Amino acid sequence: MSSSLGSEHRFAQFKLVLLGESAVGKSSIVQRFVKDSFSDFRESTIGAAFLTQTVDLDANTTVKFEIWDTAGQERYRSLASIYYRNAQAALVVYDITQESSLDKAKYWIKELQKQARGGIIIALVGNKTDLEQERKVSSEEAESFAKGLGLLYFEVSAKSGTGVRECFKQIALKMPIEDSLRKRRERKSRTVDLNKRPSTNEQQCAC
Amino acid sequence: MAERRPSGINSRRPSVIPYLAGIEKPVLPSIPSQCDVLICGTGLVESILAAALAWQGSRVLHVDANPYYGDTCATLTIEQIKAWCASVNDGSSGFQGFSKAMLHIPYPHRLNSRDYGIDLSPRVLFAKSDLLSLLINSRVYRYLEFQSLSNFHTFENDTFGKMLSTKEEIFTDQSMTLASKRQLMKMMKFVLEYDLPENKEELETHMHEPFTDYVSNRFHLSSQQINELCYALGLAPKPDISTIQGLSRVRRYLVSFNIYGNFPTLYSKYGGPGEISQGFCRSAAVAGATYKLDCALKSFDPDTKTATFEDGSKVKISEKVVCSPSQAPEGSRNVPERNYEITRLITIVEKSCKEWFAEGESAALVVFPPKSLPSNNQFPVQSIIMGSGTGCCPKDQCVWYLSTIEQGERGRRDLESALKKMEESILRESEDGGFDVELTESDVAVQANGGISVINSVKLGKSFKGFVPKEKLTYLLKLMFTQYTSVAPFGVVSNAVFEKAEENDHPGNGPDLKVIYSSMPSTEISYDGVVTEARLLYSKIVGSDDDFFDVDFEDDEDYEHGPSSESAIVDDAEEFQPEMAFEL
Repeated sequence: MSSSLGSEHRFAQFKLVLLGESAVGKSSIVQRFVKDSFSDFRESTIGAAFLTQTVDLDANTTVKFEIWDTAGQERYRSLASIYYRNAQAALVVYDITQESSLDKAKYWIKELQKQARGGIIIALVGNKTDLEQERKVSSEEAESFAKGLGLLYFEVSAKSGTGVRECFKQIALKMPIEDSLRKRRERKSRTVDLNKRPSTNEQQCAC
Repeated sequence: MAERRPSGINSRRPSVIPYLAGIEKPVLPSIPSQCDVLICGTGLVESILAAALAWQGSRVLHVDANPYYGDTCATLTIEQIKAWCASVNDGSSGFQGFSKAMLHIPYPHRLNSRDYGIDLSPRVLFAKSDLLSLLINSRVYRYLEFQSLSNFHTFENDTFGKMLSTKEEIFTDQSMTLASKRQLMKMMKFVLEYDLPENKEELETHMHEPFTDYVSNRFHLSSQQINELCYALGLAPKPDISTIQGLSRVRRYLVSFNIYGNFPTLYSKYGGPGEISQGFCRSAAVAGATYKLDCALKSFDPDTKTATFEDGSKVKISEKVVCSPSQAPEGSRNVPERNYEITRLITIVEKSCKEWFAEGESAALVVFPPKSLPSNNQFPVQSIIMGSGTGCCPKDQCVWYLSTIEQGERGRRDLESALKKMEESILRESEDGGFDVELTESDVAVQANGGISVINSVKLGKSFKGFVPKEKLTYLLKLMFTQYTSVAPFGVVSNAVFEKAEENDHPGNGPDLKVIYSSMPSTEISYDGVVTEARLLYSKIVGSDDDFFDVDFEDDEDYEHGPSSESAIVDDAEEFQPEMAFEL
């Protein structure tokens, strides 16, 4: 790694998990953030793995989020431990037009407390601000709850796009970038990327 | 069943989140009223099956009686291990297939439950294998992290030796004669070419004779070399294997070399089959499968095609019910015979054990061939060593997984005997430095007496019979148990196992009529056989396995790294299919 003074580009990747009740708009928020699109009919599948999107914090710093959707496994509280493993950020989503969805968000925050690693950045996100006239959860109530627990708090509309990018940018600003760069350097030689094989012409040289 | 919930709440808590008191467990929505296939148990085979079916388009309901994924091959925390042992021993219906769980935790306060991931059936992954191809093809590998494992140690004459497995190692080894090097090279060449037409006749003549006879007659290898071929490279779980079994097993090792680098095997970080199961379950969920833990099957009525769960909920099933024997409903009558045993001893030791690992690695295999232990073991003892770098235990600790297919008290004695040898070895090797200093001061008499210096012999690793360790090895956990399976050692699962239930059906009998049972995890220490079983079950449900994981992810925009070599691996899977089913 050669670095001419100050100009080295910093690139760090973080795992971000989504949590919250079914139908509060978890996938839609990601859809808006990643593809800048919205569909009234929920797409059931977001590819085989997860979506990724980058956020440029400044000219020299890019943060890439690897975003894990629940794939429906939240419905019966059956999220696997690999879901939480090494997650560095979590978006706990509720629907501002449904009072009960904030209570359920509290359940997921508690679940993060049990399953996720320490230091995870959690954002409580109220979705559907485009339905202001149907609002049941006041911003004050949700915000004071979030602040009380030291969580980030945002209100967004996946439908109109309002607030979505800002929400991810604020989370990106909280990510431990230096820490991640150092860890990746240390770990590099030890993890095998199954999709990257060295040249294939000498496969049987053990003989 | 509710008592089995792990109590991990008390352990390490993220500092940023204060404790939230008084939040009730929310009432869950009821399960779907209909599905095509119900699968009970989230073990690896069932999870691969669920994902294959879901991607094929079936509506899959996948449940597990436990509050965690993985079932019989789960990766568990310490608290979960405790609860698991209690359940095994009180014979509660969720744990058919295990017995005699003995758990000893001498210093409970030193174990932080969630720092550990203990595998109930640990395995290693050959770099060229059907499961590895499937992990790539299905993209499930992206949920997991893999690390290399190169060191295969064999215990012989009270010494641990590392198998010479590459050309370079064989050529540079000082202890072998040139003639013996040439024979070993010839042998390895034959292993890779035994199925060529020109070798057909030779193979057919010898394939059913004992591998040891064949190798010693044809290549004049020493008994130690043959042991290494059989039990270290081949990882044979029993003695007296046939020539064809031996050859295919050694080949499995050789062809796996240099696929990803200079090592034959890998393992998934944070836990083996338990982690990989979760990956396939997630894949199944992405494809539309429904997941529910803490959900035990009570009965299945084939006339109304209705499954009833312990909580009273019901689901209509249009196709089949597949169930792991470990999750068979109470009073079930059609669970296949589980005639084979695996005895396991799992320990957590307070030592890094880095002396056993290759450079930059965190795991190793140690194999004790038959009759190499003071207990005069009839069967080999296989052992997987997982250091803290595997994510399964904290720093400066290590998890040792020992297993044998020897049964009952004898099996337990063999494992204890092997454990003792491992303890002696790691104490000796990790003390080398300090040991020298002490000897130079106090062992003048010994050196004057004998011609050979004690220090040198220790350093050369030729013997440690006279070694008295300065320290004792601290065991933080010791767990011994017996697991039963219907897969014969060395065999692959046969279709007959799944058909049994249907053949023996007596209308009106038992709560599990027409339920298809999977096998319990096999005695095999690699993942071989797992995909074969999932495929067989898939064919049984769908009618053929033509479209088993026939998934096209072309439109997955996120898939940006797709190098040209990916297709090569997928092709290899086809090419090497027959040899993975190593019972030819």
